[in-house]
Amino acid sequence: MSPSLFHLSLLLLLPFGLTAYAATVTYDWSISWVTANPDNALARPVIGINQQWPLPHLIASVGDRVIVNVANQLGNQSTSLHFHGLFQNGTTHMDGPVGVTQCAIPPGGRFTYNFTIDQAGTYWYHSHVRGQYPDGLRGALIVHDPESPYKDQYDEELVLTLSDWYHSQMPPLIDRFLSYANPTGAEPVPEAALFNDTQNLKVRVQPGKTYLIRMINMAAFAAQYLWFEGHTMRIVEVDGVYTEPKDADMIYMTAAQRYSVLLTMRNDTDTNFAFVGSMDQDLFDQVPPSLNPNVTGWLVYDETKDLPKPTLIDEFTPIDDFTLVPHDGEKLFENVDYSFNLDVKMDNLGDGANYAFFNDITYMKQKVPTLYTALTTGTDTTNALVYGINTNPYILKKDDVVEIIVNNDDPGKHPFHLHGHNFQVVTRSEEDGGFFNGSTPHNFPAVPMKRDVVMVKPNGNIVLRFKADNPDKSIPSNSQNNSTLSTDMVLAVHVSGSSIVISNGMSSTMIEAPEELQKNLKIPDDHMKVCVDDNVPTAGNAAGNTKDFLDLTGQVQPPAPIPAGYGMGELGPSELARLSKAE
Amino acid sequence: MVNVFFLPVFFIVFRETLETSIIVSVLLAFLKRTLGPEMDPVVYKKLVRQVWLGTGVGLFICVAIGVGMIGAFYRLGANHWAGTESLWEGCFALIASLVISLMGAALLRVSKLQDKWRLKLAKALEANDNREGGFLTRLGRWTEKYAMFLLPFITVLREGLEAVVFIGGVGLGQPASAFPLPVLCGLLGGTLIGWAIYRGSNLGGIQIFLIVSTSFLYLVAAGLLSRAVIFFEMNEWRKITGGGEVDETGAGPGSYNIRQSVWHVNCCSPGVGGGGGWGVFNSLFGWTNSATYGSVISYNLYWIAVSLGFFVMRYKEKTGHWPLIKPKATDDIPSPGYGDNIATEGVSKEIGVISQEM
Repeated sequence: MSPSLFHLSLLLLLPFGLTAYAATVTYDWSISWVTANPDNALARPVIGINQQWPLPHLIASVGDRVIVNVANQLGNQSTSLHFHGLFQNGTTHMDGPVGVTQCAIPPGGRFTYNFTIDQAGTYWYHSHVRGQYPDGLRGALIVHDPESPYKDQYDEELVLTLSDWYHSQMPPLIDRFLSYANPTGAEPVPEAALFNDTQNLKVRVQPGKTYLIRMINMAAFAAQYLWFEGHTMRIVEVDGVYTEPKDADMIYMTAAQRYSVLLTMRNDTDTNFAFVGSMDQDLFDQVPPSLNPNVTGWLVYDETKDLPKPTLIDEFTPIDDFTLVPHDGEKLFENVDYSFNLDVKMDNLGDGANYAFFNDITYMKQKVPTLYTALTTGTDTTNALVYGINTNPYILKKDDVVEIIVNNDDPGKHPFHLHGHNFQVVTRSEEDGGFFNGSTPHNFPAVPMKRDVVMVKPNGNIVLRFKADNPDKSIPSNSQNNSTLSTDMVLAVHVSGSSIVISNGMSSTMIEAPEELQKNLKIPDDHMKVCVDDNVPTAGNAAGNTKDFLDLTGQVQPPAPIPAGYGMGELGPSELARLSKAE
Repeated sequence: MVNVFFLPVFFIVFRETLETSIIVSVLLAFLKRTLGPEMDPVVYKKLVRQVWLGTGVGLFICVAIGVGMIGAFYRLGANHWAGTESLWEGCFALIASLVISLMGAALLRVSKLQDKWRLKLAKALEANDNREGGFLTRLGRWTEKYAMFLLPFITVLREGLEAVVFIGGVGLGQPASAFPLPVLCGLLGGTLIGWAIYRGSNLGGIQIFLIVSTSFLYLVAAGLLSRAVIFFEMNEWRKITGGGEVDETGAGPGSYNIRQSVWHVNCCSPGVGGGGGWGVFNSLFGWTNSATYGSVISYNLYWIAVSLGFFVMRYKEKTGHWPLIKPKATDDIPSPGYGDNIATEGVSKEIGVISQEM
């Protein structure tokens, strides 16, 4: 069976047979290496589930309990699973980010994720160990909703995943990305783009029917423009949030973003139509001449007809997602209790590698996973110090309205993701909009767009608001880089849309109502066991100190900065530091 | 300044011109003393004309060859070296450093040139008496007849071609515009001093000038060696980073390999935006805003090597043999130029000596 046909069968998932009653959905997943060649250019090892790749979709309905029994059979790598977009309210420890809410599942280890889903929509799951998922461990997570406001407006459902694809495996790519040899921090450029983990995808469609197409960008790094020739998309959901219907000829999806669109087929079968994903080459530092940034699929009305080549377009004109309106009509949070800035910067540290910073702090995974620190530091749990400076911690109070101002002091586009909450995007500047100026009056929309991954434009800013109301309601999800917990837990925010960028430190951690966590959360034994196997401490502050929680000696810190104006090797640093001050 | 006046070129041209003008002056003095305008004005005039003719023709040929070579070189270069520029620049700097180092010592010897050429002239004339028949005789008679043409001609040709090769070596990394001015100044300066010597000036002042300028040349050479190392390292760094990015970073992080760095100043780069004054500083003394282990160590080793070299040469000059090597037996021909008496000793050798010298 050719890969594309194989994929087609996965694509045509029907929503039938799913019960509206809460059920328990159990998956036994053995994670191991298999060989695949999705771009028909190179057969390479990829991470499969139950000896299968592309990965199965994780399907549930609103209210279902999901149990995923993971067995790590990779042999040479640790792993974990994160369920991107799910709030994990009350089950923060099921969120998946290693070093935040759990220890890594070592080779041979077992681990059970057990949580209830109360959100409908389009999500995805992926490994949350240092940049691992682009090696294949990422798949669609679909939560059906018997009460969807749009359930009568389509005949069938399709899942369309987008992805970039690398020929090298992640460990060497990331080692090089984060090394002295890459001082500009140029992200690795993918070798190909994929639809449903293949190329030249044929989607058999029937004339006149309307399809709900759930689109997920599972990329490591690349955002994609996406359009269907001869058809107009009607957006009805972004990142698990139903929106008022909005027509679009083209959309732009950063890594980790999702869109559901209604697509009505034509009534005649004279022609087949191409649809195209095109990677945003602005993200690439140097575009190799051999790179084909595009991936093509076809809406196949008639298999005997030609598959037309996509028409070249002059420019990309995607819809502005800021103009979307959530269907629930949630009003702008007016009274902000807690507001803080996250200023994004890229810079080199003393080891010569390029790091990402929020407020001059780059994220470093600590000795004790942050959640375990929150649970074991007694009354000091509300003191941000105990989590380690380089987790960039913020303690949120229950039910506070929190405002995060992201100022992008970098000429790159950065998707920004919050775990555990959808945020209202109350303003987003144009490119080169500079830092947000809070002193001038702003016209925030009455019902702002809501989602969980948003892109901040080059040298621009965004302002996000959310309510820290998750304690016993939602579970945080994390997107690409780090994880977050919401509600009573740890919330990680990251900018950047990718597992690749995850590794360079563009993250912050939010610890939401940690004292409630201490009251309510019990960590299962199998979670503790992987920590024992990993030799990772599970109690105490970030440095593993269980006696004096405010003694952070030994916390994980980044390499020393390069003194202003001067760089140096091992000779005479103090001398030069003095000189640099003089300058 | 660097782009229009490359100092090493000036010194090379100066030295070679000086040598040539000394020969001419020695010949003219010789003619004046032996023939003199009052003794045989016709022959004297003819011979003087021969000297100038030989000098002129030799000079013309050299200039033609030199201009042709350098021109061809740069036309080729424009296409060939673009991709691997640092590598080539490194090689050029290395060659230039070696050439200048060898030249430097020779420049110090200029004040002895007059003696050296007096000796050679004596040898040449002496040799004429020992000619046998056959081809050699005919050749001998011919060379005798035109000796006053051939001597300056061959000397100018030899010195000139040497200059061309040296300039080529030193100036490989320089733009073509860096040549005309120093060449012209070198020619003028060399001629001027040659003329002064002819008029019997004191050589002491010249000696001091030579010492100063030689010291200066060695500073340049040390800087060039260090630059060569930096160029090679930069070539490696480009390979490590995968190319183009290094140029984006100007003088900031990423413009250098931090693992090799001894110090780095985020300014004052000789390479960014033409370098300005830092560029001059760089080509004269090897200044860099980003010193590496390789560049610093090579700079220091260079001075150790040059110092050792001069100690050894001085030892040889004092004792007549190299250190750690036994002095040779008595039939050793003393190198020319050490003592006026040699010129009058009358060394009897085949004419081949001259041609070898040439």
